[in-house]
Amino acid sequence: MSRATILGLVKMNKPESLPLPVIDENAFKEEIDLKETFKSNVTLVGGQIKEIEPNSIDSEIQSLYPNKTKIVSITNKSTLGTVQISPNTDPHTLQDIDLAIVEGDLGVSENGAIWVTGEASILRALPFITNDLVILLDKTKICLHMLDAYKLIAKRDRTFGVFISGPSKTADIEQCLVVGAHGAMSLTVLLI
Amino acid sequence: MKKKNLKVGLFIPCYVNQLYPQVGIATLELLEKLGVDVHYPQGQTCCGQPLGNSGYEEDSKGICQLFVENFKAYDYIVGPSGSCIYHVKHHFDILEQTEDVKRVRDNAYELCEFIVKVLGKKDLGASFPHKVGLHKSCHGLRGLKLGSCSEVKGEHYSTEEDLLNNVKGLQLMSLNRQDECCGFGGTFSVFEETISVKMGKDRVNDHIASDVEVLTGADHSCLMHMEGLINRNKQPLRVMHIAEILNSTL
Amino acid sequence: MNHAKRATEFNKDEAKVNWHDKALWYVREKRDKSAHNVHGWEYLRELGSALKANVLSNLDTYLVQFEENAKKNGVHVHWAADAKEHNEIVLSIMNKHKAKKVVKSKSMLTEECHLNPHLEKHGIEVIDTDLGERIVQLAEEPPSHIVLPAIHKTKEDVDVLFQEHLGTIPSQGNPEYLVGEARKHLRNKFLNADVAITGVNFAVANTGGFVVCTNEGNADMGVHLAKVHIACMGIEKIIPREEHLGVFLRLLARSATGQPITTYSSHFNKPEEDKEMHIVIVDNGRTEQLSREDFRASLHCIRCGACMNTCPIYRRSGGHSYDYTIPGPIGSILSPGKDLKKHSSLPFASTLCGSCSNVCPVKINIHEQLYKWRQVIVKEEPQPVIKKTIMKTAGKVLANPKLFEVAGKSARFALKHAPRFMVYNKLNAWGNARDLPEVKGDSFEEWYKKRNKNNE
Repeated sequence: MSRATILGLVKMNKPESLPLPVIDENAFKEEIDLKETFKSNVTLVGGQIKEIEPNSIDSEIQSLYPNKTKIVSITNKSTLGTVQISPNTDPHTLQDIDLAIVEGDLGVSENGAIWVTGEASILRALPFITNDLVILLDKTKICLHMLDAYKLIAKRDRTFGVFISGPSKTADIEQCLVVGAHGAMSLTVLLI
Repeated sequence: MKKKNLKVGLFIPCYVNQLYPQVGIATLELLEKLGVDVHYPQGQTCCGQPLGNSGYEEDSKGICQLFVENFKAYDYIVGPSGSCIYHVKHHFDILEQTEDVKRVRDNAYELCEFIVKVLGKKDLGASFPHKVGLHKSCHGLRGLKLGSCSEVKGEHYSTEEDLLNNVKGLQLMSLNRQDECCGFGGTFSVFEETISVKMGKDRVNDHIASDVEVLTGADHSCLMHMEGLINRNKQPLRVMHIAEILNSTL
Repeated sequence: MNHAKRATEFNKDEAKVNWHDKALWYVREKRDKSAHNVHGWEYLRELGSALKANVLSNLDTYLVQFEENAKKNGVHVHWAADAKEHNEIVLSIMNKHKAKKVVKSKSMLTEECHLNPHLEKHGIEVIDTDLGERIVQLAEEPPSHIVLPAIHKTKEDVDVLFQEHLGTIPSQGNPEYLVGEARKHLRNKFLNADVAITGVNFAVANTGGFVVCTNEGNADMGVHLAKVHIACMGIEKIIPREEHLGVFLRLLARSATGQPITTYSSHFNKPEEDKEMHIVIVDNGRTEQLSREDFRASLHCIRCGACMNTCPIYRRSGGHSYDYTIPGPIGSILSPGKDLKKHSSLPFASTLCGSCSNVCPVKINIHEQLYKWRQVIVKEEPQPVIKKTIMKTAGKVLANPKLFEVAGKSARFALKHAPRFMVYNKLNAWGNARDLPEVKGDSFEEWYKKRNKNNE
């Protein structure tokens, strides 16, 4: 039984207990404009970001992505959806989705990442398999850094969630950055 | 402590003693000029580093013990080589930690560090009207923390730069890579000859590309390696230990 | 073959060495810029280190806690003592589902266990989906870097490789075109896979969840399409609490590539409906490394690759010169613990410059461990006679001032008077490319004695 063997060896070989460090968050305090830093970091990681009024969501998306026909919208803030999905939809059928519109829960200023839960995309594959991705985010929900972020998402039903920072990318060919590896080719963040 | 009361034991590394006496002489003259009561304990050999770095630490105990015997009577031990001093401070843990051993380890200083930190001097009245490139040897830089490293976040500082910037006429050139290793590495230089030579070549070429006339540093082993390459390839660079520059007057 | 010989092979093409060095130095510079931008960066590294030290000292407790919580979430947990057992477990899960096609995202552990050949031997198609890993898989080579697996390949190399395997047209190495073609090729693989295998960046004891980080989105593409997800992790991947991800995710990508965070940091807790999630927890030598007081901190490693990018030797010798799954400085302190004889040259493939320890996000004292491995190797492995004789003799001569004086004199005499061919010959690796120092007559000690005499 390898479980017992491994645990036995760990017990035998581990050093004397060392304390769990207490994190002094003052060390990371910074007086910065959260929203502006967030915006510049979204751009830095290859995404685009716009701050808009709630009533112009659809028109903004239409002007940014004019020729999309197969659109999945998992938010009642947009009426552009043309394809309906449910938890029972086979994710393989999402392979030719042009655009997905989902809501993010939280933005992180230090790295432009946005927390998107499995529930917010109904199917976990959606934000990855779609050709382009739009994330709607409440502009008041931006925190300073990842330590704060984990506090803010601590109370949740833990199933699946992902911090998304920019569109899919790779630099595996000679360190040349190419946007659009396997996941979404573009990411637009709409701050509302 | 007042300078006059300082009793300093001068440590001249084995290869400097044998091959670069001028570096030892410059070090001694410089300390004397600064009013230090400096003595050279005769019969000294080496710090044991060549063995330790090669994995033969066990066989170096006699050398380390001899070092302690030679220097235990001094308030400070000062040597013109960051890597040797680093070895004394960090690897003499193989000896029994007697009071003598502890004192020697605690009071061993690299030359520049001793001048700036202990003597509190930066302007030594030297003059050297040349374009100089500073090689920041790794054991001095990262081991003894003689300066800030490019990879560590924090304020910029450099003990050697503090001294060189006060030398009249000296123009300190900035390099493309300010603190990359030269590839000497003791026996690494022969057992990993290809990489050692390649690293040295790259370092030397950085100095040449940066318009340097005189390449200097606080560790002559690195300088020996790079000088070997420069001489072989007949490159237009002079190599001098920092003690020689600091001891220069017009 | 030892590291020096393989490094010499790599250095036959100096232009390529310069290119390789520059490519990695560029990553190191991006890392500096990005890390130094973080308020409290050095403190963050201290936290990373202290957290990992706490983990190792309570690892059994955390592992059990992790297992308990993962099981509560409906995840299957398996334990593997070694690579063989790990491979068998993965295969048995595949067999249970009659799976024939697997897509795999980056996992150094499965590389270490040689999982791919094991599955292929049993008729399973394994596709590495990280672009760099796919490139080396097509080239039938091991990765040469843990974050940038194909860093040793030029874009022209990739062009030729893709022409042969993916039927692309010659593009003179156009990265956009090549990535686009790889996207199409791999999308097809994602859509047809039965099982997705991923590594684990961090496994969280207090939630039973785990995090996988990618830039390409390949882990998620695989996992969310396939019916079964198998995540393979070494025992040291555990962290105590979810909030500690806040420390490690801040450190990881900045250290690795200079990005503020990877594009995707995916948090897996429960399987999606009608799907299965498995975790294989692997020892494979880690508990043994844990027993070695001087070397256990090597288990702090979060596989960012920063030590490789900063290492002046790695940059000039290439990842393959290390001939170990994890190359570079960290590989050189991990590998001797696995096979001291085979990897005994690696701890010597360093000048002990210490830059690796300075960039390490979890503050592993890499260069000090290299020094310590050297002591172990000299004791336990037979050494070249010449080196051994020189060192043993030096130990005696340098401990004796009289012998040193004589030796010094004769060495200087030889350097000064021996004909050039005696000083520069094949046995003298110093002299192949470097001149020896010019001898100046007296030693310092002789000069000093004379001076004192004159002053008397």
